[in-house]
Amino acid sequence: MLTSPLFLEIVLFPGLLSIAIIGALLGWLERKVTARVQLRIGPLYASPAGGILQMFADLIKLSFKELFVPENSDAFFFIMAPTTGLVLGAALVGLIPFAPGLQIANIEVGLPAFLAIITLSPTLILLAGWSANSKFPFIGGLRALFQQTAYEIPLWLSALGVIMMAGTMNLGQIVNAQTSGWFILPQALGAFIFLVTSVAEMERLPFDLPEAESEIMMGWQAEYPGVLFLAAQGPGFVKLYAFSALFSVMFLGGFLGPSFLPPLFWMLLKTLLIIVLIMLLRSTFPRVRLDQLLRAGWTTLLTLAIINIGITYILVVGFPTL
Amino acid sequence: MVAQGIPEIGSYIAFLFVSTVALVIILRLFVSPRDPRPTPEKKKPFESGQIAAGPGRTRFIIQYYPYLLMFVVYDVIAMFLFAWGLNLRALGASGSVPVLVFIVVLLIPLGYALHLANHRENW
Repeated sequence: MLTSPLFLEIVLFPGLLSIAIIGALLGWLERKVTARVQLRIGPLYASPAGGILQMFADLIKLSFKELFVPENSDAFFFIMAPTTGLVLGAALVGLIPFAPGLQIANIEVGLPAFLAIITLSPTLILLAGWSANSKFPFIGGLRALFQQTAYEIPLWLSALGVIMMAGTMNLGQIVNAQTSGWFILPQALGAFIFLVTSVAEMERLPFDLPEAESEIMMGWQAEYPGVLFLAAQGPGFVKLYAFSALFSVMFLGGFLGPSFLPPLFWMLLKTLLIIVLIMLLRSTFPRVRLDQLLRAGWTTLLTLAIINIGITYILVVGFPTL
Repeated sequence: MVAQGIPEIGSYIAFLFVSTVALVIILRLFVSPRDPRPTPEKKKPFESGQIAAGPGRTRFIIQYYPYLLMFVVYDVIAMFLFAWGLNLRALGASGSVPVLVFIVVLLIPLGYALHLANHRENW
Protein backbone atom coordinates (compact mmCIF):
# COMPACT_ATOMS: atom_id res chain seq x y z
CA MET A 1 0.00 0.00 0.00
CA LEU A 2 2.66 2.47 1.06
CA THR A 3 4.79 1.91 -2.04
CA SER A 4 2.01 1.57 -4.61
CA PRO A 5 2.37 4.14 -7.42
CA LEU A 6 -1.04 5.66 -6.82
CA PHE A 7 -0.35 6.25 -3.12
CA LEU A 8 2.99 7.86 -3.93
CA GLU A 9 1.32 10.06 -6.56
CA ILE A 10 -1.32 11.18 -4.09
CA VAL A 11 1.06 11.86 -1.22
CA LEU A 12 4.28 12.99 -2.93
CA PHE A 13 4.07 14.15 -6.56
CA PRO A 14 1.84 15.56 -8.05
CA GLY A 15 -0.12 15.21 -4.81
CA LEU A 16 -0.27 16.83 -1.44
CA LEU A 17 3.34 17.32 -0.34
CA SER A 18 4.49 18.80 -3.64
CA ILE A 19 1.39 21.03 -3.80
CA ALA A 20 2.17 22.46 -0.36
CA ILE A 21 5.87 23.00 -1.12
CA ILE A 22 5.25 24.46 -4.58
CA GLY A 23 2.54 26.76 -3.18
CA ALA A 24 4.96 28.11 -0.58
CA LEU A 25 7.75 28.49 -3.14
CA LEU A 26 5.39 30.36 -5.48
CA GLY A 27 4.66 32.81 -2.67
CA TRP A 28 8.39 33.44 -2.39
CA LEU A 29 8.84 33.65 -6.18
CA GLU A 30 6.02 36.16 -6.50
CA ARG A 31 7.59 38.44 -3.90
CA LYS A 32 10.97 38.13 -5.59
CA VAL A 33 9.66 38.80 -9.12
CA THR A 34 7.57 41.76 -7.98
CA ALA A 35 10.56 43.13 -6.07
CA ARG A 36 12.85 42.84 -9.09
CA VAL A 37 10.36 44.70 -11.29
CA GLN A 38 10.07 47.46 -8.71
CA LEU A 39 13.88 47.65 -8.23
CA ARG A 40 13.70 46.25 -4.70
CA ILE A 41 15.36 43.12 -3.28
CA GLY A 42 12.49 41.27 -1.65
CA PRO A 43 12.82 38.53 1.01
CA LEU A 44 16.46 38.19 1.95
CA TYR A 45 17.23 36.89 5.43
CA ALA A 46 15.34 33.62 5.96
CA SER A 47 18.01 31.48 4.29
CA PRO A 48 21.36 31.81 2.48
CA ALA A 49 19.66 31.44 -0.94
CA GLY A 50 17.79 34.72 -1.26
CA GLY A 51 15.22 34.18 1.49
CA ILE A 52 13.77 31.08 -0.12
CA LEU A 53 12.50 29.84 3.26
CA GLN A 54 10.60 33.07 3.96
CA MET A 55 7.17 31.57 3.31
CA PHE A 56 7.91 28.60 5.55
CA ALA A 57 8.91 31.05 8.29
CA ASP A 58 5.64 32.92 7.70
CA LEU A 59 3.79 29.61 7.94
CA ILE A 60 5.33 28.86 11.34
CA LYS A 61 4.65 32.40 12.55
CA LEU A 62 1.00 32.37 11.46
CA SER A 63 0.46 28.88 12.88
CA PHE A 64 1.27 30.03 16.40
CA LYS A 65 -1.09 32.99 16.34
CA GLU A 66 -4.35 32.82 18.21
CA LEU A 67 -7.38 31.59 16.31
CA PHE A 68 -10.65 33.35 16.99
CA VAL A 69 -13.89 33.98 15.16
CA PRO A 70 -15.29 37.55 14.98
CA GLU A 71 -18.46 38.22 16.95
CA ASN A 72 -21.86 37.70 15.27
CA SER A 73 -20.22 35.75 12.47
CA ASP A 74 -21.27 32.34 11.24
CA ALA A 75 -18.40 30.26 12.64
CA PHE A 76 -19.05 27.11 10.61
CA PHE A 77 -19.02 28.79 7.21
CA PHE A 78 -16.31 31.22 8.30
CA ILE A 79 -13.93 28.28 8.86
CA MET A 80 -15.32 26.02 6.15
CA ALA A 81 -14.89 28.42 3.21
CA PRO A 82 -11.07 28.78 3.14
CA THR A 83 -10.40 25.15 4.09
CA THR A 84 -12.71 23.92 1.32
CA GLY A 85 -10.81 26.25 -0.98
CA LEU A 86 -7.59 24.37 -0.14
CA VAL A 87 -9.19 21.03 -1.01
CA LEU A 88 -10.49 22.48 -4.29
CA GLY A 89 -6.98 23.64 -5.16
CA ALA A 90 -5.63 20.12 -4.58
CA ALA A 91 -8.48 18.71 -6.68
CA LEU A 92 -7.41 20.94 -9.59
CA VAL A 93 -3.81 19.72 -9.55
CA GLY A 94 -5.06 16.12 -9.40
CA LEU A 95 -6.54 16.45 -12.89
CA ILE A 96 -3.35 17.63 -14.64
CA PRO A 97 -1.22 15.11 -16.61
CA PHE A 98 2.38 15.96 -15.68
CA ALA A 99 3.89 13.14 -17.77
CA PRO A 100 2.51 10.04 -19.51
CA GLY A 101 0.97 8.06 -16.65
CA LEU A 102 1.88 10.62 -13.99
CA GLN A 103 -1.66 11.83 -13.32
CA ILE A 104 -3.88 11.22 -10.31
CA ALA A 105 -7.26 11.26 -12.08
CA ASN A 106 -7.23 10.43 -15.79
CA ILE A 107 -10.93 11.03 -16.42
CA GLU A 108 -12.56 11.42 -19.83
CA VAL A 109 -14.02 14.87 -19.04
CA GLY A 110 -10.85 16.29 -17.49
CA LEU A 111 -11.08 19.78 -18.99
CA PRO A 112 -14.75 20.50 -18.12
CA ALA A 113 -14.17 18.93 -14.69
CA PHE A 114 -11.30 21.35 -14.06
CA LEU A 115 -13.41 24.34 -15.10
CA ALA A 116 -16.40 23.08 -13.09
CA ILE A 117 -14.32 22.73 -9.92
CA ILE A 118 -12.86 26.21 -10.36
CA THR A 119 -16.39 27.61 -10.72
CA LEU A 120 -17.05 26.80 -7.06
CA SER A 121 -14.38 29.15 -5.78
CA PRO A 122 -16.28 32.49 -6.13
CA THR A 123 -19.17 30.87 -4.27
CA LEU A 124 -16.81 30.03 -1.42
CA ILE A 125 -15.52 33.60 -1.43
CA LEU A 126 -19.07 34.94 -1.21
CA LEU A 127 -19.74 32.52 1.64
CA ALA A 128 -16.60 33.67 3.46
CA GLY A 129 -17.54 37.32 2.98
CA TRP A 130 -21.13 36.79 4.12
CA SER A 131 -20.27 34.73 7.20
CA ALA A 132 -17.70 37.21 8.54
CA ASN A 133 -20.41 39.82 9.32
CA SER A 134 -18.12 42.69 8.41
CA LYS A 135 -18.36 45.30 5.68
CA PHE A 136 -15.11 44.83 3.77
CA PRO A 137 -15.39 41.02 3.45
CA PHE A 138 -19.00 41.33 2.32
CA ILE A 139 -18.14 43.85 -0.40
CA GLY A 140 -15.27 41.60 -1.51
CA GLY A 141 -17.55 38.57 -1.70
CA LEU A 142 -20.10 40.44 -3.81
CA ARG A 143 -17.33 41.64 -6.11
CA ALA A 144 -16.19 38.03 -6.57
CA LEU A 145 -19.74 37.07 -7.53
CA PHE A 146 -20.10 39.83 -10.14
CA GLN A 147 -16.60 39.28 -11.44
CA GLN A 148 -17.44 35.62 -12.07
CA THR A 149 -20.25 36.58 -14.42
CA ALA A 150 -17.78 38.62 -16.47
CA TYR A 151 -15.13 35.98 -17.13
CA GLU A 152 -16.93 32.65 -16.81
CA ILE A 153 -18.48 32.37 -20.28
CA PRO A 154 -15.36 33.56 -22.22
CA LEU A 155 -13.28 31.10 -20.16
CA TRP A 156 -15.49 28.16 -21.13
CA LEU A 157 -15.76 29.24 -24.77
CA SER A 158 -11.97 29.60 -25.13
CA ALA A 159 -11.63 26.06 -23.76
CA LEU A 160 -14.23 24.95 -26.34
CA GLY A 161 -11.83 25.94 -29.15
CA VAL A 162 -9.24 23.45 -27.86
CA ILE A 163 -11.89 20.72 -27.54
CA MET A 164 -12.97 21.34 -31.14
CA MET A 165 -9.36 21.05 -32.34
CA ALA A 166 -8.53 17.95 -30.30
CA GLY A 167 -11.88 16.18 -30.51
CA THR A 168 -11.57 15.05 -26.90
CA MET A 169 -11.99 16.40 -23.38
CA ASN A 170 -9.35 14.13 -21.82
CA LEU A 171 -6.34 16.26 -20.90
CA GLY A 172 -3.80 13.53 -21.71
CA GLN A 173 -5.33 13.03 -25.14
CA ILE A 174 -5.37 16.81 -25.69
CA VAL A 175 -1.60 16.75 -25.17
CA ASN A 176 -1.18 13.82 -27.57
CA ALA A 177 -3.27 15.67 -30.19
CA GLN A 178 -0.54 18.34 -30.26
CA THR A 179 2.29 16.09 -31.46
CA SER A 180 2.13 17.65 -34.94
CA GLY A 181 1.91 21.22 -33.65
CA TRP A 182 1.04 23.08 -30.48
CA PHE A 183 -2.43 24.60 -30.25
CA ILE A 184 -0.98 28.04 -29.43
CA LEU A 185 -0.65 28.74 -33.18
CA PRO A 186 -4.17 27.89 -34.49
CA GLN A 187 -5.69 28.89 -31.14
CA ALA A 188 -3.70 32.10 -30.54
CA LEU A 189 -6.84 34.13 -29.89
CA GLY A 190 -8.24 31.42 -27.63
CA ALA A 191 -4.97 31.26 -25.70
CA PHE A 192 -5.08 35.02 -25.15
CA ILE A 193 -8.69 34.88 -23.90
CA PHE A 194 -7.92 31.90 -21.70
CA LEU A 195 -4.91 33.66 -20.15
CA VAL A 196 -6.86 36.86 -19.42
CA THR A 197 -9.91 35.07 -18.03
CA SER A 198 -7.82 32.68 -15.93
CA VAL A 199 -6.00 35.64 -14.37
CA ALA A 200 -9.46 37.05 -13.57
CA GLU A 201 -10.50 33.67 -12.20
CA MET A 202 -7.44 33.53 -9.92
CA GLU A 203 -8.32 37.05 -8.71
CA ARG A 204 -4.82 38.31 -9.30
CA LEU A 205 -3.86 41.78 -10.43
CA PRO A 206 -5.12 43.46 -12.62
CA PHE A 207 -8.38 41.69 -11.69
CA ASP A 208 -7.99 41.28 -7.92
CA LEU A 209 -11.18 43.18 -7.10
CA PRO A 210 -12.37 40.83 -4.30
CA GLU A 211 -9.19 41.40 -2.29
CA ALA A 212 -8.12 44.86 -3.46
CA GLU A 213 -5.91 45.77 -0.52
CA SER A 214 -5.78 49.48 -1.26
CA GLU A 215 -9.57 49.80 -1.57
CA ILE A 216 -11.27 47.29 0.72
CA MET A 217 -8.40 46.00 2.92
CA MET A 218 -7.89 42.48 1.49
CA GLY A 219 -11.65 42.18 0.98
CA TRP A 220 -12.99 38.78 1.96
CA GLN A 221 -9.75 37.85 3.76
CA ALA A 222 -9.84 40.85 6.10
CA GLU A 223 -11.24 39.07 9.16
CA TYR A 224 -9.22 35.87 8.99
CA PRO A 225 -6.76 35.35 11.87
CA GLY A 226 -3.61 33.24 12.03
CA VAL A 227 -3.59 29.94 10.21
CA LEU A 228 -7.00 30.62 8.66
CA PHE A 229 -5.45 33.60 6.84
CA LEU A 230 -2.89 31.16 5.50
CA ALA A 231 -5.71 28.84 4.43
CA ALA A 232 -7.37 31.79 2.68
CA GLN A 233 -4.15 32.82 0.90
CA GLY A 234 -2.93 29.33 -0.04
CA PRO A 235 -5.55 28.41 -2.68
CA GLY A 236 -4.51 31.47 -4.69
CA PHE A 237 -1.03 30.05 -5.24
CA VAL A 238 -2.29 26.50 -5.79
CA LYS A 239 -4.73 27.86 -8.39
CA LEU A 240 -1.86 29.75 -10.05
CA TYR A 241 0.10 26.49 -10.26
CA ALA A 242 -2.88 24.50 -11.56
CA PHE A 243 -3.96 27.09 -14.11
CA SER A 244 -0.44 27.53 -15.49
CA ALA A 245 -0.15 23.75 -15.81
CA LEU A 246 -3.54 23.64 -17.56
CA PHE A 247 -2.48 26.42 -19.94
CA SER A 248 0.65 24.52 -20.93
CA VAL A 249 -1.40 21.33 -21.36
CA MET A 250 -4.01 23.03 -23.53
CA PHE A 251 -1.87 25.34 -25.66
CA LEU A 252 1.85 24.60 -25.22
CA GLY A 253 1.92 20.86 -25.79
CA GLY A 254 2.11 19.85 -22.11
CA PHE A 255 4.80 17.26 -21.55
CA LEU A 256 5.81 17.07 -25.22
CA GLY A 257 9.32 18.20 -26.05
CA PRO A 258 12.74 17.06 -27.30
CA SER A 259 13.47 13.62 -25.92
CA PHE A 260 16.90 14.28 -24.40
CA LEU A 261 15.16 15.46 -21.24
CA PRO A 262 12.24 13.69 -19.48
CA PRO A 263 8.63 14.80 -20.23
CA LEU A 264 8.19 15.98 -16.65
CA PHE A 265 10.98 18.54 -17.15
CA TRP A 266 9.28 20.10 -20.18
CA MET A 267 5.93 20.20 -18.40
CA LEU A 268 7.38 21.96 -15.34
CA LEU A 269 9.45 24.34 -17.49
CA LYS A 270 6.39 25.49 -19.46
CA THR A 271 4.37 25.79 -16.26
CA LEU A 272 7.10 27.92 -14.69
CA LEU A 273 7.23 30.21 -17.74
CA ILE A 274 3.47 30.83 -17.58
CA ILE A 275 3.67 31.42 -13.82
CA VAL A 276 6.39 34.06 -14.27
CA LEU A 277 4.37 35.67 -17.08
CA ILE A 278 1.30 35.96 -14.82
CA MET A 279 3.48 37.36 -12.02
CA LEU A 280 4.87 39.98 -14.40
CA LEU A 281 1.28 40.96 -15.28
CA ARG A 282 0.72 41.56 -11.59
CA SER A 283 3.58 43.99 -11.27
CA THR A 284 2.96 45.93 -14.48
CA PHE A 285 -0.79 46.57 -14.76
CA PRO A 286 -3.04 48.76 -12.58
CA ARG A 287 -6.26 47.36 -11.14
CA VAL A 288 -9.41 47.69 -13.27
CA ARG A 289 -12.77 48.89 -11.95
CA LEU A 290 -15.66 46.46 -11.54
CA ASP A 291 -17.82 48.09 -14.21
CA GLN A 292 -14.86 48.18 -16.63
CA LEU A 293 -14.26 44.48 -16.03
CA LEU A 294 -17.94 43.58 -16.50
CA ARG A 295 -18.22 45.59 -19.69
CA ALA A 296 -14.96 44.27 -21.14
CA GLY A 297 -15.82 40.69 -20.23
CA TRP A 298 -19.31 40.79 -21.69
CA THR A 299 -18.50 42.75 -24.84
CA THR A 300 -14.83 42.45 -25.86
CA LEU A 301 -13.88 39.05 -24.44
CA LEU A 302 -17.19 37.37 -25.31
CA THR A 303 -17.06 38.72 -28.89
CA LEU A 304 -13.46 37.56 -29.27
CA ALA A 305 -14.37 34.13 -27.89
CA ILE A 306 -17.20 33.74 -30.42
CA ILE A 307 -14.90 34.89 -33.23
CA ASN A 308 -12.38 32.30 -32.01
CA ILE A 309 -15.01 29.57 -32.22
CA GLY A 310 -15.78 30.70 -35.79
CA ILE A 311 -12.07 30.57 -36.75
CA THR A 312 -11.72 27.14 -35.15
CA TYR A 313 -14.83 25.89 -36.96
CA ILE A 314 -13.36 26.99 -40.31
CA LEU A 315 -10.01 25.40 -39.44
CA VAL A 316 -11.46 22.07 -38.34
CA VAL A 317 -14.11 21.70 -41.05
CA GLY A 318 -12.22 23.37 -43.91
CA PHE A 319 -8.82 21.75 -43.30
CA PRO A 320 -9.55 18.31 -41.77
CA THR A 321 -5.94 17.20 -42.20
CA LEU A 322 -4.66 19.69 -39.64
CA MET B 1 -13.67 4.01 -22.35
CA VAL B 2 -16.31 4.39 -19.69
CA ALA B 3 -15.36 1.16 -17.95
CA GLN B 4 -11.78 2.35 -17.97
CA GLY B 5 -12.76 5.55 -16.20
CA ILE B 6 -14.42 4.02 -13.15
CA PRO B 7 -11.30 3.06 -11.11
CA GLU B 8 -9.79 6.45 -11.96
CA ILE B 9 -12.75 8.19 -10.37
CA GLY B 10 -12.34 5.94 -7.35
CA SER B 11 -8.73 7.04 -7.02
CA TYR B 12 -9.81 10.65 -7.42
CA ILE B 13 -12.28 10.31 -4.56
CA ALA B 14 -9.49 8.72 -2.53
CA PHE B 15 -7.30 11.72 -3.35
CA LEU B 16 -9.95 14.18 -2.18
CA PHE B 17 -10.50 12.12 0.98
CA VAL B 18 -6.81 12.00 1.85
CA SER B 19 -6.40 15.73 1.24
CA THR B 20 -9.39 16.51 3.47
CA VAL B 21 -8.07 14.28 6.26
CA ALA B 22 -4.62 15.84 6.03
CA LEU B 23 -6.16 19.27 6.22
CA VAL B 24 -8.25 18.42 9.28
CA ILE B 25 -5.22 16.99 11.06
CA ILE B 26 -3.09 20.04 10.28
CA LEU B 27 -5.81 22.45 11.42
CA ARG B 28 -6.41 20.45 14.59
CA LEU B 29 -2.72 20.67 15.45
CA PHE B 30 -2.70 24.42 15.22
CA VAL B 31 -6.01 25.23 16.89
CA SER B 32 -4.30 25.44 20.25
CA PRO B 33 -3.24 28.93 21.41
CA ARG B 34 -5.76 30.73 23.61
CA ASP B 35 -5.79 34.28 24.92
CA PRO B 36 -5.62 34.18 28.76
CA ARG B 37 -7.35 37.58 29.13
CA PRO B 38 -9.74 38.07 26.18
CA THR B 39 -11.10 41.57 25.56
CA PRO B 40 -14.41 42.32 23.81
CA GLU B 41 -12.73 44.72 21.37
CA LYS B 42 -10.70 41.90 19.85
CA LYS B 43 -13.71 40.22 18.31
CA LYS B 44 -15.17 43.38 16.79
CA PRO B 45 -15.28 43.56 12.97
CA PHE B 46 -12.36 45.37 11.36
CA GLU B 47 -13.17 48.81 10.00
CA SER B 48 -9.76 50.44 9.63
CA GLY B 49 -9.46 51.26 13.33
CA GLN B 50 -12.87 52.89 13.65
CA ILE B 51 -15.53 51.49 15.96
CA ALA B 52 -17.76 49.32 13.78
CA ALA B 53 -21.00 51.10 12.91
CA GLY B 54 -24.22 49.59 11.60
CA PRO B 55 -24.81 46.06 10.36
CA GLY B 56 -21.91 44.13 8.85
CA ARG B 57 -23.95 42.78 5.96
CA THR B 58 -24.61 46.01 4.10
CA ARG B 59 -26.58 46.66 0.96
CA PHE B 60 -26.10 44.52 -2.10
CA ILE B 61 -24.46 46.02 -5.16
CA ILE B 62 -27.49 46.04 -7.45
CA GLN B 63 -26.46 48.13 -10.47
CA TYR B 64 -24.89 45.11 -12.23
CA TYR B 65 -27.96 42.94 -11.79
CA PRO B 66 -28.66 42.69 -15.57
CA TYR B 67 -25.29 40.95 -16.02
CA LEU B 68 -26.33 38.36 -13.43
CA LEU B 69 -29.58 37.71 -15.31
CA MET B 70 -27.68 37.27 -18.58
CA PHE B 71 -25.19 34.99 -16.87
CA VAL B 72 -27.89 32.65 -15.60
CA VAL B 73 -29.18 32.19 -19.17
CA TYR B 74 -26.02 32.18 -21.28
CA ASP B 75 -23.78 30.16 -18.97
CA VAL B 76 -26.11 27.19 -19.36
CA ILE B 77 -26.37 27.72 -23.12
CA ALA B 78 -22.57 27.72 -23.47
CA MET B 79 -22.55 24.20 -22.04
CA PHE B 80 -24.64 22.90 -24.97
CA LEU B 81 -21.87 23.90 -27.35
CA PHE B 82 -19.46 21.46 -25.69
CA ALA B 83 -21.36 18.41 -26.93
CA TRP B 84 -21.18 19.86 -30.44
CA GLY B 85 -17.51 20.87 -30.24
CA LEU B 86 -16.50 17.42 -29.02
CA ASN B 87 -18.01 15.71 -32.09
CA LEU B 88 -17.27 18.42 -34.64
CA ARG B 89 -14.97 16.25 -36.80
CA ALA B 90 -17.61 13.51 -37.03
CA LEU B 91 -20.49 15.92 -37.67
CA GLY B 92 -18.75 17.96 -40.35
CA ALA B 93 -20.22 21.03 -42.02
CA SER B 94 -23.65 19.54 -42.80
CA GLY B 95 -24.18 18.27 -39.25
CA SER B 96 -23.23 21.63 -37.79
CA VAL B 97 -25.96 23.69 -39.50
CA PRO B 98 -28.52 23.39 -36.64
CA VAL B 99 -25.89 24.42 -34.07
CA LEU B 100 -24.81 27.41 -36.14
CA VAL B 101 -28.44 28.51 -36.50
CA PHE B 102 -28.81 28.05 -32.72
CA ILE B 103 -25.78 30.29 -32.08
CA VAL B 104 -26.94 33.02 -34.47
CA VAL B 105 -30.46 33.02 -33.02
CA LEU B 106 -29.02 33.37 -29.53
CA LEU B 107 -26.59 36.14 -30.42
CA ILE B 108 -29.36 38.60 -31.36
CA PRO B 109 -31.02 38.71 -27.90
CA LEU B 110 -27.53 38.65 -26.33
CA GLY B 111 -26.64 41.81 -28.24
CA TYR B 112 -29.85 43.53 -27.18
CA ALA B 113 -29.42 42.46 -23.54
CA LEU B 114 -25.86 43.79 -23.60
CA HIS B 115 -27.10 47.06 -25.05
CA LEU B 116 -29.55 47.37 -22.15
CA ALA B 117 -27.07 46.23 -19.50
CA ASN B 118 -24.35 48.64 -20.61
CA HIS B 119 -26.77 51.54 -20.10
CA ARG B 120 -27.02 51.16 -16.35
CA GLU B 121 -29.18 54.22 -15.81
CA ASN B 122 -32.11 52.18 -17.14
CA TRP B 123 -32.00 50.03 -14.02
